[in-house]
Amino acid sequence: MAKILIIDDDETIHLICKAYLSKSGYTVETAFDGPEGLELAASCQPDLVLLDINMPRMSGFDVAKKLKENEATKHIPIVMMTSLKQDSNIQRGYGLGIEDYITKPTNMAHLKLRIDKFLEKKK
Amino acid sequence: MLEILTQSEHFYTYVTLAVIFLAFFNVAEVFFLLHNKAMVERSELKRQRLKRLAATALITSTSPAELLPKPVTEDDFAAYSEAIASVLDSFEGEVAFTATKLLTDLGIDAHYRRLARHRTWYKRGNAIDILASFRLKANREFFLGIFRSEPSLDVKYRILYGLSRLTREHSDIKALAHLLSTLPYLTAKYTEDIFYNIITALKAEDKENEFGLFMDELLHDQGVLNLVKRDCITACYAASCEKNRDLLKAYYEAYPSEPEILIAAVRALAKQGDFSVMPYALQHHDWRVRLAALKYAHLCCMGMLTEIRAMLRDPSYHVRINAGLALARGGGISRAALKEEAASQDKFAAAAAAYALSMEAS
Repeated sequence: MAKILIIDDDETIHLICKAYLSKSGYTVETAFDGPEGLELAASCQPDLVLLDINMPRMSGFDVAKKLKENEATKHIPIVMMTSLKQDSNIQRGYGLGIEDYITKPTNMAHLKLRIDKFLEKKK
Repeated sequence: MLEILTQSEHFYTYVTLAVIFLAFFNVAEVFFLLHNKAMVERSELKRQRLKRLAATALITSTSPAELLPKPVTEDDFAAYSEAIASVLDSFEGEVAFTATKLLTDLGIDAHYRRLARHRTWYKRGNAIDILASFRLKANREFFLGIFRSEPSLDVKYRILYGLSRLTREHSDIKALAHLLSTLPYLTAKYTEDIFYNIITALKAEDKENEFGLFMDELLHDQGVLNLVKRDCITACYAASCEKNRDLLKAYYEAYPSEPEILIAAVRALAKQGDFSVMPYALQHHDWRVRLAALKYAHLCCMGMLTEIRAMLRDPSYHVRINAGLALARGGGISRAALKEEAASQDKFAAAAAAYALSMEAS
């Protein structure tokens, strides 16, 4: 069963994504900020990380950078899910090596399809 | 008075009584604060619990209102509205549809509509902010109605902000622009945010062209301040409205002596990868326009190497520095030219070139 790690400071997002993705057969872990997310990513080795940008303590960009720098986590695909729509942010995200950039509001069904695509590629 | 007290045979009794009173007051204050802290924590816990309940109900049921307790207190309404606003901001499709339905089913929308007519202005303002976060099209007429009767300017600004998120078509923009003109002052950021919201709302409905129609009308309208036109273009830059590229060029041509408009147009066009106005902007008489163009010169104008090199001798310090940086970013021939300039006799050009080279090295 594929494991997804959601790093977002909004609990509502956790609950909704967790309920939806669990129904689709994924195991979902959640973290409320960057440091907690980095720790979880290293320990539970998820198959994919869903990452927000605006978070307390550490921004999503910094988290993505650290994940890609760490030997143990650099292979994990990162999908950024944020309300920041500016091109500069999208470029910055891809520059850090993320796999996809999704802007909010997002459709859960589309999100699931994109996650499926990445996890299929990984197999 | 002090003399009478100190000479009194009961002096020490008075002092003891005062100390006891102060001690009692301090203990009572500590208890009051502890009680208050417990109340706030309890209310926060209840809020979190309700938010969690609402989010879970939204994803697990098609009629979540049946699973949720009816909101009674202000905290209950706040908890539900926070959860629903968060869902509407982050998701679309079925979840968003159910969340919108929940607003009506639980009477949240009606509650804040009532509160928007409260006698205290900040309660009205808060209610307007919350209603705006729901982006319910049905609230458009309501916002227009309360704008007319609203006495507080602070609340009026919020109503217009809410209205801007509910724009559906060209006539809505015109109505909004008219309401904006009734306000006594507009900051650049506020106006830009309003236009940004309008563009985003129209884009969501695939009607970006309607904003183009509005900008076209504004182009030669002398009754509208040029600064408002500038904010309109800046919003285009922020919201990346790519369908209005020709209009942005028309603004550049129509206002040759308005640096604020020219700068905004240069930036908005450059963001869309259109550098057609750059050669003119680089030679504009106003240093601020030259400066704005130089920020993008390395992307488009290396064919103008002689002109950019000459800008190392520009009267403006900022232009000289940015000309150096543009040459450094350009690489190849332009970088070689910059190295030559670093050894130039002209001390201003040499200093700008040396600075640009040092920045590149760091």
